[in-house]
Amino acid sequence: MSTRRLLVATCGSWLVLWLPAVRGGLERDMALHMAVQMPLLIALGALVAAATCRFEPRWLAAADWLGIAGIAAVVLGTSFWMVPRALDQAIADWRIDLVKFLTLPLLVGMPLGLSWRRMPPLGRAFIWANFIPKLGAVGGLYLGAPMRLCAYYRLDQQELAGWTLIAVAVALGITWFVAAFIGWTPSCGKRPSRPSVDGAGRQRALHASAA
Amino acid sequence: MTMAVTAGRTAINPRAAVLAYLAVSGIVYLLMMLLGLTMRLAQAQWIDVPPNFFYVVMTMHGAGMVGIAGLSSAAVMWHFVRRYIPVSTAVFLTNLVFFLIGAVLILGAGFIGGFGAAWTFLFPLPAHSGGLWSVNAAASYLVGLIFIGVGFLLLHLDIARGILSTYGGLGAALGVKQAFGLAPAEKGPPPAVTASTMALIANILGILVGAAVLVISLVNLYVPTFTFNALAAKNLIYYFGHTFINVTIYMAVIAVYEILPVYTHRKWKTNWAFYLAWVLSTVFVLTVYTHHLLMDFAMPTWTLVAGQVISWLSGLPVLLVTAFGTLTVVYRSGLRWNPAAALVFLGVAGWAIGVIPAIADGTIAVNSVMHNTQWVPGHFHTYLLLGMVAMVLGFMTYLTNPQPRYGFAWLGYWLYLVGGVIFVIAFLLAGAASVPRRYAVHVAQWLPYDRIGSIGATVAIAGVLILVARFFVGIRTAASAQDPT
Repeated sequence: MSTRRLLVATCGSWLVLWLPAVRGGLERDMALHMAVQMPLLIALGALVAAATCRFEPRWLAAADWLGIAGIAAVVLGTSFWMVPRALDQAIADWRIDLVKFLTLPLLVGMPLGLSWRRMPPLGRAFIWANFIPKLGAVGGLYLGAPMRLCAYYRLDQQELAGWTLIAVAVALGITWFVAAFIGWTPSCGKRPSRPSVDGAGRQRALHASAA
Repeated sequence: MTMAVTAGRTAINPRAAVLAYLAVSGIVYLLMMLLGLTMRLAQAQWIDVPPNFFYVVMTMHGAGMVGIAGLSSAAVMWHFVRRYIPVSTAVFLTNLVFFLIGAVLILGAGFIGGFGAAWTFLFPLPAHSGGLWSVNAAASYLVGLIFIGVGFLLLHLDIARGILSTYGGLGAALGVKQAFGLAPAEKGPPPAVTASTMALIANILGILVGAAVLVISLVNLYVPTFTFNALAAKNLIYYFGHTFINVTIYMAVIAVYEILPVYTHRKWKTNWAFYLAWVLSTVFVLTVYTHHLLMDFAMPTWTLVAGQVISWLSGLPVLLVTAFGTLTVVYRSGLRWNPAAALVFLGVAGWAIGVIPAIADGTIAVNSVMHNTQWVPGHFHTYLLLGMVAMVLGFMTYLTNPQPRYGFAWLGYWLYLVGGVIFVIAFLLAGAASVPRRYAVHVAQWLPYDRIGSIGATVAIAGVLILVARFFVGIRTAASAQDPT
């Protein structure tokens, strides 16, 4: 798909999500709000990043050394919108909701798309390894909370959101593991030849240690 | 530590980094053994330790030993696996720094804050101290564990990166194709890579689960109204804790695969059974933790039955191929025994013997009688003290190559072996006589076991002291030396 078409599709999707009926429908339930609407907004930003990364100014790439600044923005942005009070404000005031609709694609999704490829593989793996238990822990806290954390959501909705976050954490963990197990690792780039797989490496090591 | 500056960048000598790990390990092992001896002497009524302080000592001994077992066996794994895959020395040292920060926080929680909820920090005990420790002390302990977990997570992720870049996938590095006859065994990965893959799979998953339950426990400390299902928390804690300590053996066993062939001048031969054993043990180590919950009647029955069956099977595949491989590598090889070879050989024996009482305790009918007795510290000290620690001590001796001054090391070896055997047998006999574990105060009928155990522990510590002392004597030359032949 061309860059222009991708941008048009992304903007169109954003507008669809902003439609009152769609927005209200997704924000009516805490689980949908957290596990569907917000990830979709982040994904739109990541798509824009994928479409426009060729035009990224050099100074921005230099400032985002190893993707650290961008991923810091991602962590801050996602952490803020996980706070129950922020969810409440977004439902109570359309202007705050607009802030959410702008910040999640622009300050989370786009930095994620741009900075992720700059991160070394160890950094990416560490981000995943932090994100997965964080989701699980937040889900567990929603389950364990003795009161409603959001004024706009009932206890049963909060519990469903907790289970949903735990399920997403488990699904992400399994997907990550399976991908690494079968070798589906786009982040690792090329697969080099296997000089040490054939046992010769072992032999060489043995000789080296015996030398 | 040896460092060389090359092209404006500081390159750290990987061998020196391994020696730094082992130096820390040697000191911490000795200190933690002295804490263990303190408990045995107190139970033997040879010294007076207040009961509340006994539980602090017990917590520090448990947490310290589990942590240092992880650190020292990680040193074994990293030293050998870096022969086959690219790994980062900086990340390796970062793990050591995180470990030391975590250790300071944990020791502070115990010896300053009085935290004594056992190393397993079972929810919600950290928040219910009965006035013995503060919330901050419990938090210091939990944050210390998080630091240690983050360090190990980085280390395992870095090894995973190296493995993926060389083998393409964790399955290939584990030898899955070889295990099921889909590829020739000769084309399989070296044992060090297979074992490291298993260790990282188990530990990364365990640490992720542990991180979640640690965060929830921390929130519960400061906001007690946030509660969590205690049985779910126990499951998560044991998934993390059991996996972590279990994996230490699988990391340390790499010493057997790599050191014995050097001395016997025979290759460690791998075949489909070897790879199948590691694949099976990978599955078992991730699912066996439920044998810690056999006394929790609220657990679904099928999980307990699975826990029993998997406990019987868990360690056996790798143990069998390792023990068989060890015997075939050594038998009629003309091996001239030295302390390093003897220690790693002892490690396999200690592991094999220790598994037997462990399997007995993994049986529900036995567990309901024996689990809260000293049978349990008896079995885990057998395969940890005389198994895993023996492999680490063998690795330390191998790296610092005491030749031709073997005499001193042999003295250490025999004291460690004889003392260790007396120590674990005292535990097992006490367990068979239903002496409870984790009791600060013992009645008169239990004292003979405690006193024999104390004598055994003292002799074993003297042996370890000698082995660690001669490691430090050889450490300077070892930093720039090659591995011995």
